[in-house]
Parts: sequence; C-alpha cells; structure tokens
Amino acid sequence: MQASNDVVIETRNLTKVYRDFWGRQKVRALKALDLEVRRGEIFGLLGPNGSGKTTTIKLLLGLLFPTSGQSLVFGRDATDVSKNERLGYLPEESYLYRFLNAEETLDFYGRLFKIPRAVRRQRTFELIEMVGLDWARRRQLKEYSKGMVRRIGLAQALINDPELILLDEPTTGLDPIGTREMKDLILKLRDQGKTVLMCSHLLADVQDVCDRIAILYQGELKELGRVDNLLKVRDVTEIRASGLDAQAQQEIKAVIEKHQGKLLSMGNPTSTLEELFLKIIRESEAHPGRRVRGEKES
Amino acid sequence: MVIEYAIVPFLEWLSTSFVYWLMILGGVVAAALIGSWLVVTLRHGPVVAFRCVGRVLSDTVVDLALIAPRRVLAMAWLAVKESIRRRVVVVFAVFLVLLLFAGWFLDPASSEPARLYLSFVLTATSYLVLLLALFLSALSLPADIKNKTLHTVVTKPVRPSEIVLGRILGFTAVGTVLLGIMALMSYVFVVRGLSHTHQVADADLRAVEQIDDGEPAIRQGHSSRVHKHRHEVTVDASGGVRVELEHGHWHDVSAGQSAGETVYQFGPPRGRLVARVPVYARQLRFKDPTGEDAEEGVNVGDEWGYRSFIRGGSLAAAIWTFEDITTDRFPKSSFPDGLPLEMTLEVFRTYKGQTDDPKTIPGILGSLSVGDPKTGKPIEVRLFTAKDFATDVQYIPRQVETPDGRKLDLFKDLAPDGRLEVWIRCIQPMQYFGMARADVYFRARNAQFWVNLAKGYFGIWLQMVLVIGIGAMYSTFLSGPIALLATMGTLLGGFFSRFMGDLGAGAVMGGGPIESLYRLVTQKNLIQDLEPGLKTTVIEMIDHVLEYGLWVTSSLLPEFDRFSFSEHVAKGFDVSGNLAAQCALRSLAFLIPVFVAGYLFLKTREVAR
Ligand SMILES: Nc1ncnc2c1ncn2[C@@H]1O[C@H](COP(=O)(O)OP(=O)(O)O)[C@@H](O)[C@H]1O
Ligand SMILES: [Mg+2]
Repeated sequence: MQASNDVVIETRNLTKVYRDFWGRQKVRALKALDLEVRRGEIFGLLGPNGSGKTTTIKLLLGLLFPTSGQSLVFGRDATDVSKNERLGYLPEESYLYRFLNAEETLDFYGRLFKIPRAVRRQRTFELIEMVGLDWARRRQLKEYSKGMVRRIGLAQALINDPELILLDEPTTGLDPIGTREMKDLILKLRDQGKTVLMCSHLLADVQDVCDRIAILYQGELKELGRVDNLLKVRDVTEIRASGLDAQAQQEIKAVIEKHQGKLLSMGNPTSTLEELFLKIIRESEAHPGRRVRGEKES
Repeated sequence: MVIEYAIVPFLEWLSTSFVYWLMILGGVVAAALIGSWLVVTLRHGPVVAFRCVGRVLSDTVVDLALIAPRRVLAMAWLAVKESIRRRVVVVFAVFLVLLLFAGWFLDPASSEPARLYLSFVLTATSYLVLLLALFLSALSLPADIKNKTLHTVVTKPVRPSEIVLGRILGFTAVGTVLLGIMALMSYVFVVRGLSHTHQVADADLRAVEQIDDGEPAIRQGHSSRVHKHRHEVTVDASGGVRVELEHGHWHDVSAGQSAGETVYQFGPPRGRLVARVPVYARQLRFKDPTGEDAEEGVNVGDEWGYRSFIRGGSLAAAIWTFEDITTDRFPKSSFPDGLPLEMTLEVFRTYKGQTDDPKTIPGILGSLSVGDPKTGKPIEVRLFTAKDFATDVQYIPRQVETPDGRKLDLFKDLAPDGRLEVWIRCIQPMQYFGMARADVYFRARNAQFWVNLAKGYFGIWLQMVLVIGIGAMYSTFLSGPIALLATMGTLLGGFFSRFMGDLGAGAVMGGGPIESLYRLVTQKNLIQDLEPGLKTTVIEMIDHVLEYGLWVTSSLLPEFDRFSFSEHVAKGFDVSGNLAAQCALRSLAFLIPVFVAGYLFLKTREVAR
C-alpha cells in the first residue's frame, strides 16, 4: 500500500506501434517498457533521437493509445482526464497559440483548472516573473523568439502547481543561462516535493539533475538505475598511484598522517554518462534485443 | 404572393416529430454501437470489444454530464480570439461592397421593390454568414491538431465534450455578432433604398365637385413622379388629404408653404415593409360541378398538383373552413369595413381575350359567399374579378344580407362557434379557378416589420449554428480541407434532402436511380412500364437497396431550406411563432446528435497522430 502510493507513474509492458492510414505497421517505437517513477524523484529518460522518449511521454498523457500494455499515472489510466488536474506537461516544442500574449496564454490554461480567479491571476503574474518575461507579457507569442516561447511553455506547465511534471527535452532552444536556470528550477521543484519526469538526448542535462535514469535505445529499455550507481566504476580505485590495496591504502594513509600530510581524495572514479551511453549502444548493436526489465539495483 | 406550404400546429408537429426523432436516433445509436463492436472484435476479439464499447459508453455519459461551464467558456473564448485573428471582420467589407453594387442594380421603381430588396439582403447575408461559419468551424480543430497546439490543451483537465462545445459556442458567438450587425446594415439599406417622397402643389389640383356657392369641395390631382410612379391625391373640403395606394404603398402627407403656395409634401413610403399575419383555414374542401362533395377539384394537367381547380359556371365550389373568427380577433374598431380576406387564385383559361397582354385581359368573374351553418348553404357576399396570381383583398362585411332580405350578423349568426365557411365559385363558364388551402386567408393584423426581419435573420442564425455544428463535428476526425468538403456536401445534401427522401420513398416518377439510368440509356419515357423479366427484377432489387440508403441519408440530413424564413419576410408575411419554434427545435434536434458524434470522434482518436 505504502509502496503503491509512492509510485506516481507506472508502465506495464507498454508497447507502441505506429501504423499508417491503411493499418500497416510502420515503426515499432516502443517495445514492452516497464517503468516505475516514485514520488519526489527526478527521473530521466535518456536516449538518442528517435529512441521513443516522446512516444513514452505521449502514451503517459493519453495523447497516444498503447498498442498493448498499460500506462498508469497516479494509479489511473492514462486516458483518464482527471489525472491532468495534478500534472504539468512541457511539450517537445512549445505548442501554444501564437495569437495570444503571455498573460492571455497563462490565463487561458489556468481557466481549464479549478483554480479561484484571484489565485490564477497571482500565479500568472508570478510565473511570468519567474521565467523572466515580465518585459514582454503583453506581446503576442508570434513575436517571441524560440527560447522565449519555451519559457512561456514552462510557465504554462506550472500554472496548476502540479505534483508531477513531464518535461520533453526541457533545455532545447534555451541559451546557456536559460539551461542553467531550467536545471536549477527542476531541482527546486524536486525540493518542493514534486516528481519530475524529463527526457533528453543531452547527457549533461540528465547527469546534472536526475536521481534515476532509464536509457532507451530503439524503443527498448537498455539501462535503469541511480545515476551515481550507474556511473560508478567499482573495480577501479582512483589514487594518484597504482598497484595499492586497501591495506596499502591504509598504510599509505598512515604514512601520510605520519608525515603530517593531508589526504585530499581517494575513491572509485566515475565514468562520464557519455561513455556509459556509447557502451550501451555498442553492446546493443553487438547483441540486439538484450534489455533490462524492472529494476534490480538497491 | 403566397407561401406554398402549410404549417402544422405546434403540438401536433411536436408529438409526431419527436417520436420520429427518437426512432432515427435510436437507429443511429444502435448502428454505431454494433458497428464499433464489430470493428474492435476484428482486432481484439468479442470480449475485449464488448468491454471497450461499454467503457466508451459510460465515459460518454460522464463526459457529457460533467461538462463545466468554466472550461467551455474558456474554450469558447479561445475560438472567438482565433476568429478575430483570422480576420472575420473582412466579411463586413465584402458585405458593404455587395450592398454598394446592389444599390446600383436593384431597381426601387420595379413593381415589388420590397421583395427584391429583402430577398437580396437576406440571401447575401445568409451566403456570407454560412460561408464564414463553414470555414471557421471546419478548419479550426484540424489546424489545432496539425500545429499540435491541441496537445497542450488536452493535457489539461478539459474533456473532449468541452472542446467541441466550446468551439461551437465560440464560433456561434462570433457569427451572432456579425449577423446582428449585418442585419442592422440590411435594415438601413432596405429602408433607405425604398425611401422616396413625392410632392404636389395645391395649385395643380383640380376641383371635381362644386357645391352650390361655387367653392370647390373636393379637389384631385397627381403627385410628382418618383421611382416611376405617382399617386392620386384627393383633398376634401376640410383640408384632409388622401393618397391612393400605388406600387403597393402610400404616403403620409403634410401641407406646407413654399413661395407663398401651399405644397403637399409626402412622407416616407408606408405599407411596403409589412408583416402580414394571416389566419389560415383549418381545412379546404370542394364541391364538384353537380354540387356534390368531392375530395379534390379537377386536375387541369398542372404537373405539381399543388392546386385544385373548380370549373366555372357550375355548382363546383371551394370551401375554406376557418376557426376562431371572433369579435375579439376582429374588433369593430380596427376592422370597421369588415374582415379583410386576401386571396391569390390561379386562373386557368380555356380561351383568352383579344390580346395576350396581361394588362388588357379582363379578370374572370367569381363569387364570394359565406356558409350559413343553419342551412349549410352559401350566402353570396359579393362578386369579384380574379386575375391570375394577383393578390386581391375582399372585405366580408360584419352584416350579411340573405337573398330573402334577412340581415345576419357575421359573428353571432354565421360563426356562432367561431367557425366560418368561405365559399368561392367561378362564375364564367369554360374558365377555372385553381386554389390551395394557403391561398385564401384572413389578414388579422400586421406585425412589426422589423420584428419580422429579425425573425428572418433568426432563420439564418439557425442555419449558421447548424453549419458550425456540422463543421465542428467533421473537423474532429477529418483534416481541414476534407472536413470543409464534407460539411459542404452535407449542406448540399440537406438542400436536396426532401427530393432524396421522395426518391428513397419511391415517390418520384420513373423509378429509382438504376431504373432511371436504364430509362435514360434506352430512351424509355417515364410512364411506360418496364417489361417484366430477370433484368427488371434485378434493377428493381438494386433500386430498393439504393432507395433505402437514400431514405436513411435523407432522414439524417437537415432539410436546409426549411430553416429559412427569407421567403416569408420577403413576401411580407409574418413568421409565426409556431414556425420559428418548430425550426428552432428542429435544428436543436440535429445539433445534439451532431455534438455527441463530434465528441465521440474526438475522444476515440489519438490526438498526437
Ligand atoms: N506520428 C508518428 N508516426 C509514425 N512514426 C512516428 C510518429 N512519431 C514518432 N514516430 C517514430 O517513432 C520513433 C520514436 O519517436 P520519438 O518517440 O519521437 O523519439 P524521441 O522522442 O526519443 O526522439 C521514431 O522512429 C519515429 O520516427
Ligand atoms: Mg522526442
């Protein structure tokens, strides 16, 4: 009970096949995905272009219907509209009405929620401030640059103060400062107790903010786990020397202390996510079809 | 100028139509359920299909029951914003240009300018508004799906029902405002277009009657000629001015001084823009030439058979039975000369006068009588001359004299229970009168013209809402251009719906589609029976299936021309509340299923495809 309460997103054997007009199979975009996202974590979906990340998010939102399997959000079926009360979604590109201005946009989306008028006004004001667009609040979105639209897109996703936020490639189109702000914001949202599911092909994004990640490749789940665990290389110890065991390390420590020195660092080195990523792709090309199911790490 | 179809009393209409509606609706729902169950069964088996259909059904109930006005209004607001962005106001510019051109081409001096002007503005507005409604509603949602802006919307807690309803309401609001402004512009255009004045100087009048001391008592003359007509003016001894009816209107006159002379200045035309409220007969029956009751009159070979004919110089008669002919309805104060009976008869001649010029052909003599309820026999009121399809007003006096000299009160003696029989006979042998129930009616009073014009625009409004609903419905599952075509197809089908219904019911001469084609190819005429045999049987079988399909289609399509009151307004007849209510309900009867269908299409589609 406790555990199921903590699971915000669950997919079971989720599969999506895109078909053309005549019902012929075109792309198997997602193959039997099993995932669980728990309350309060930042979960990253990582994978190269076309690996099925957006498809997963759309299935979770009920924008697409699964070919087989199931996706549950807050324990409800993805096609249930009532789940939308508690979530926010930032699409891949910001699909907003270009004939509205920033205020109108937020007010319009706000009106779709059961929020009192005063609160809606207040939030509209704060969110425009937060995404740094108060100087352009009365300008139509068609006059905005891509990054500005992206910011309004983010504000619109937060208009209902959601518990769960789905971000599809949140940093594309943002300048370096915007990217940094976006990452800080994601961390801040987590600190407020919200759950974030983001997908990205940018390794740096995920590495910086995510608690856990899933790596998708050609619609298959290749790796799943805590970022720090995945990146830790256990059988290598990073010391500025080689050929030393624990005993020797202890001895070396002792030796350092004995000589009134100070140990700066010693431990397992981390590989970069990029290396992990490339390794997975190499492996899956060597052994196609291998994938992880569920999670086995501690 | 008569309206050629009869209107059924409201409750009578409602009870039959409602049952019919429920039947059709039930059929459509059943077909949809079975059809979708079969489709899902093909993919996933019968059990899953059963559960699927059941869930969609229960979701539908929830999504329709829990529609929130707040979200519908938000969606409607968006639709309004979108329309403004698409520059719907351009329609005004087009309308203004149309009016400008019309100002040149419409001739206010023609014999029925009011009808000309009114049908023009009504037609122009309805085409413009319907076109606008078509484009707005059919293109909006597909554009949202294509731009993926809908993704951001449907991931908010908004139901598909609210998206469809909001769009319908939003575009309706935009259309209503546009239509309202265009109606005002039309009103001004018509009134100003028809407006003209005449004048006549007192000096130009000549005395027609001298009283003993030589002072002229009554003087007569003609007004100045404007719009190709002039009015006869009579001034009596006390200075009262009377203007004769000409070209369907008269003027109020005021006397003024100009250069030391009295000049009669005419006001704006009156009696042209009217809304006559007719009191139709409940029933029309006939007597044959020997005076016996007959179902119908004679058929003189009129292809439509709408009117029946009675033979002149015989006992043949047409008898209209009116109800509710009471002093309350026709008070003496408003109807001092009697009850005005307007009649428009078709005159069928077996020989003509000297020339074929309609102006010189004398009218055909007829007699007008009222039935005596005691004897069941007619009492002649007066003779009249009828010209083909000319609207004539005859007054039935409040007191009628019988041939033996008794005086009968119209209300007390002839219509004691409000039922009054009006008999018409043709007196000249070898000539015929043709008539239908709606051709003869009492003119109780005139309704306000501007109210009637507003009702005319209400008819256009109903058509517009239907177009918006149908367009929005198609746009939930078709791409923009296809939705546009489908909506247009439905509209055209709607205009021909009655014909299709007749075709489907096998009521059209020459058989069904295939049989007609066969006749066309083999050049057989429509009356000749096909020779019996296998070929004919097959043709008839296919036709039966096609006819059934046509019948179903025609029952599903709105009879679009029925929603238009333009004919009434242009011909100067009041649009009765009954007619307006029937049309309003009829469009609602289409809108509800159309909306639900739109909702279902949107709900069961993948928005992100
Ligand atoms: N609407 C669609 N129709 C057909 N194929 C699609 C559609 N959308 C995505 N795909 C295919 O599905 C696969 C996964 O796409 P997507 O989920 O968008 O990838 P990602 O977001 O990881 O870049 C790709 O091969 C893509 O070509
Ligand atoms: Mg993507």
